[in-house]
Amino acid sequence: MRAAAGILGAPMSRVEGRLKLTGSAAYPIDVVVSGQAYAVLVQSTVVCGRISAINTDMAARAPGVVTIVTHANTPAFPLGPTTPLGPSPLPPLQGAEVFHFGQHVAMVIAETLEQAQAAASSVAITYETAEPTLSLDEPSRATELHPWLPDQTRGDAATAFANAEVRLDERYITADNTHNPIGLFAIVAEWQGDTLIVHDTTQWPHGVRETLAGAFGIDPANVHVHTPYVGGAFGAGLRVWPHVILAALGAKLARRPVKLVLTRAQMFTSLGHRPMSVQRLRLGAARDGRLTAIEHEAKSPLSMAGEFFNPVAAGAAEAYNCAHVTTRDRQVRVNVSLPTWMRAPGHAEASFALESAVDEMAYRLGIDPLELRLRNHAAVHPHSGHPWSSNALLECYTVGAERFGWHARTPALRSMRDGRLLVGYGTARAALSAYQAPCTALATVRRDGSASIRSGATDIGAGTYTVITQLAAELLGLPPTRVHVGLGDSDMPKAPQQGGSGLTAALGNAVHGACLDVTRTMVDLVSRDEGSPLYGCTLQTVETTNGGLQRLGKPAEYESFAEILDRHGLDELTREGASKPPSSAAMAHAGSFGAQFIEVRVDPDLGTVRVHRVVSVVDGGRILNEKVARSQIVGGIVGGIGMALFEETVSVNGRPINTSLGDYVIPANADIPDIDVTFVGGPDPMTEVGAKGIGELALTGVAAAVANAVFHATGKRIRTLPLSLDKVMD
Amino acid sequence: MKAFEYQRAASPADSTAAVASYCNAMFFAGGTTLVDLMKIDVLTPDTLVDINSLALHEIEVTDDAIIAGANVSNSQLAWHPIVRERIPVLTQSILSGATTQIRNMATVAGNMLQRTRCTYFRDVHSACNRRVPHSGCDALGGFNRGAAVLGVSEHCIATHPSDMCVAAALLDAEVRTVRPDGSHRIIPLNEFHLLPINTPHLETVLDRGELITHVVFRTTPIARRSYYLKVRDRASYEFALASAAVAIQVDGDRILDARLAIGGVATKPWRCVDAERSLVGKAAGEKSFREAAEISLSDAVAQQHNAFKIELAKRTIVRAFAKITEGTA
Repeated sequence: MRAAAGILGAPMSRVEGRLKLTGSAAYPIDVVVSGQAYAVLVQSTVVCGRISAINTDMAARAPGVVTIVTHANTPAFPLGPTTPLGPSPLPPLQGAEVFHFGQHVAMVIAETLEQAQAAASSVAITYETAEPTLSLDEPSRATELHPWLPDQTRGDAATAFANAEVRLDERYITADNTHNPIGLFAIVAEWQGDTLIVHDTTQWPHGVRETLAGAFGIDPANVHVHTPYVGGAFGAGLRVWPHVILAALGAKLARRPVKLVLTRAQMFTSLGHRPMSVQRLRLGAARDGRLTAIEHEAKSPLSMAGEFFNPVAAGAAEAYNCAHVTTRDRQVRVNVSLPTWMRAPGHAEASFALESAVDEMAYRLGIDPLELRLRNHAAVHPHSGHPWSSNALLECYTVGAERFGWHARTPALRSMRDGRLLVGYGTARAALSAYQAPCTALATVRRDGSASIRSGATDIGAGTYTVITQLAAELLGLPPTRVHVGLGDSDMPKAPQQGGSGLTAALGNAVHGACLDVTRTMVDLVSRDEGSPLYGCTLQTVETTNGGLQRLGKPAEYESFAEILDRHGLDELTREGASKPPSSAAMAHAGSFGAQFIEVRVDPDLGTVRVHRVVSVVDGGRILNEKVARSQIVGGIVGGIGMALFEETVSVNGRPINTSLGDYVIPANADIPDIDVTFVGGPDPMTEVGAKGIGELALTGVAAAVANAVFHATGKRIRTLPLSLDKVMD
Repeated sequence: MKAFEYQRAASPADSTAAVASYCNAMFFAGGTTLVDLMKIDVLTPDTLVDINSLALHEIEVTDDAIIAGANVSNSQLAWHPIVRERIPVLTQSILSGATTQIRNMATVAGNMLQRTRCTYFRDVHSACNRRVPHSGCDALGGFNRGAAVLGVSEHCIATHPSDMCVAAALLDAEVRTVRPDGSHRIIPLNEFHLLPINTPHLETVLDRGELITHVVFRTTPIARRSYYLKVRDRASYEFALASAAVAIQVDGDRILDARLAIGGVATKPWRCVDAERSLVGKAAGEKSFREAAEISLSDAVAQQHNAFKIELAKRTIVRAFAKITEGTA
């Protein structure tokens, strides 16, 4: 089979763009169910201890209150499912213990939101406080080795480091970051007998279904999760958080639908966050610039209760062509809320440390930082020795250097100026390892000549609706306007989270399989039908075009899908496709690669750093839609600039305190310059569609490129994020 | 948010009488601070008296002043052509604050009454003498990177957040009010805000039920050459870590007269009169400006996380004067 070319890759605008711009796309927060009551969460104001008393008398008498939920009237919930990503967060209100500030301790349900808020503020809680553990240096709280992604060892890094001609041994610190999607997380839960219907902000409708079915002991088929649109998530919706169970419990106790919307402040402690990291990097190099040793150790906080696997250092093992590498990841249990994956988890933090260290090593060696990266490029997967399934990183470097004008950089520190401002150029390698999870999808062709795709995946803003429309249109030979893509519904075929930059490949390959199966079935129907102009054809001798099948090279021998279905008395034809993570004994499954080039302007007196220019070159395999792909890269770079310069969830004695968008500083428009994005490379041969994930790649390397540029501009090496003006001031 | 009564005032006298007659009533104008703080239970008025319909929406231009009605929006004032021409520092200070949307809602009088952004003031679970008298101050010893270094006391280190008020301090603005008994008064802006000292909960000299009707900005000749420089982490929509409003008159490179007020570092809009005096007769250059900056911050008191603001404020002053004398402002 051949498919008509030209639709895939085209810079098509988002198919749901008009709905979103006109406010007609219903996000979970917009859902109103007849008779719904409103839930408001009460959260712990202490960091560690136990609840000695909860007095709800006053709240219960407040106007409009329907019911109040505390640990005293919450049933025991079983633990949630363990998935390939690890165990679920612990279920809510299972005891009087308080493990972190902002832990849910009660929920008030009332007729109106205002009544619920007023009543919630009158719930009186008495705590017995205990001394919290907050230091990462507390040895008794260090956790075991990472159970599923063991530390990496190649060669003998300690000896190689000791014998290296040039050595670097530095410590880098990244900050706690909070996802802060603009859309507040919301859920509406409604019971109809034993059937539970929820509208939930999630990246994973099937995970919500499994979790709620388990929590309430009902058949997963009786849980229906709707998430057609998500107002951003960045990883905050990858797991099923306790408030989701609470909303369903509330609806059960109140015997009516319940809506729960987290407040901005609650978003900081209820949905995970990117935990800070302390990383030690030891690099050894020969004078000619060969890296001879990499030792990367990372430590990050974990909550007292609950699990979260967070390999930070592990990626160093596949970063450079270096014979001696060790990576060590450790987590320390402290009294903070449960961390989770945030866009480019681990990779973003690790790349700050590693790519800063490589830059530092370049200065020690007197070698251009870009040249040092070229010399140590891993032409094959350095750990397995297998060839990469695809890798255009060298092209990223060279194309990026050309577009950026890297050659104009004068290497001496503080050597480039623009009036009072110091100018600096910095670069960094970007990479994100391949990840793909099993996925299924249905493809349907109807007698009216239209087609639809259905899968329980979500589009959190990445452009999934659009690229899947294009993919199906191309595979079925239909105009995109005749293809409808349905996502975000747990009644649709099972799909993984939109996360790990893995969904485009997973869902794309499932859709590929489903569309191919539809086409094959159509071919079966016509090849046995003497009345068809395509009688006797095979999958190899036809192409899909104009909404039907056509014999290759013979435009007259054509029949539309509508005619085929009509003649066979079928209203529609539906087939399921499934994809699995690819594996190969001969190739290393490559993730995406990139190179970041950043120019900063630094005011040395006032310490302000402004990013003046960004050039980002990306190998994302086959790019399904250059327009939405570019948006993904731009969004990632904006996130990277935030991580580099501004973002830090500040906690004092275990308590996050800058929990508003006025106080947690993310970039404003005025902080973002022109961002030049170029795609290089080609389809990755490991999968049918050839796409590699790009949702997170662009965030990696940005913080290091900014820090490296600031060093070039000022001579100040800042190893602690964010690079706030007080650290940069001369 | 707590339940509250709402009423619309028909006249200034009506509004002052209403606010004075309830035990916990507040005027409601733009609402950009008030509603925000009501949502997080920091302010819990039992009655809001809406003054938006009062005829206080005009900007009157006289020979030596711009008289802004209390209900004039921040945007309206900032973009007024005479303001831009005669007192550019006022336009610049207003436009450096908040966002277009907030400036369109926020009023001139409301800006005079803006509340601090101190984290602990905004969190009802924290101790804050400004919010609850005698409850303590969690900012001392807490996260105080943004806290004030001037005008602080052992009871409060909250920074005054307004940019407009810094320009108003520079311009010797006056606040005109009417009291519940019908009497009027004129309060110099530099006497309008109170230092926290032992009573941080008292932020201005206004009496209960006293309504701001107008704010008067003097268009003195020196104000024509004025400039506002604001320094903060990101490029927009953030409160100042340090700011400086400056105005200068020079003859050649000799300073004839100068004005200086600073923001982001003090518990009230901070006029630096001694520094101004030090500049008169000096050469307009880095050295004089630095001396003035040193004088301005000579009483600064640092906390655990905000020591950098002292040096930052000095450099901000120097830069602001340098830019205005260079003509690059």
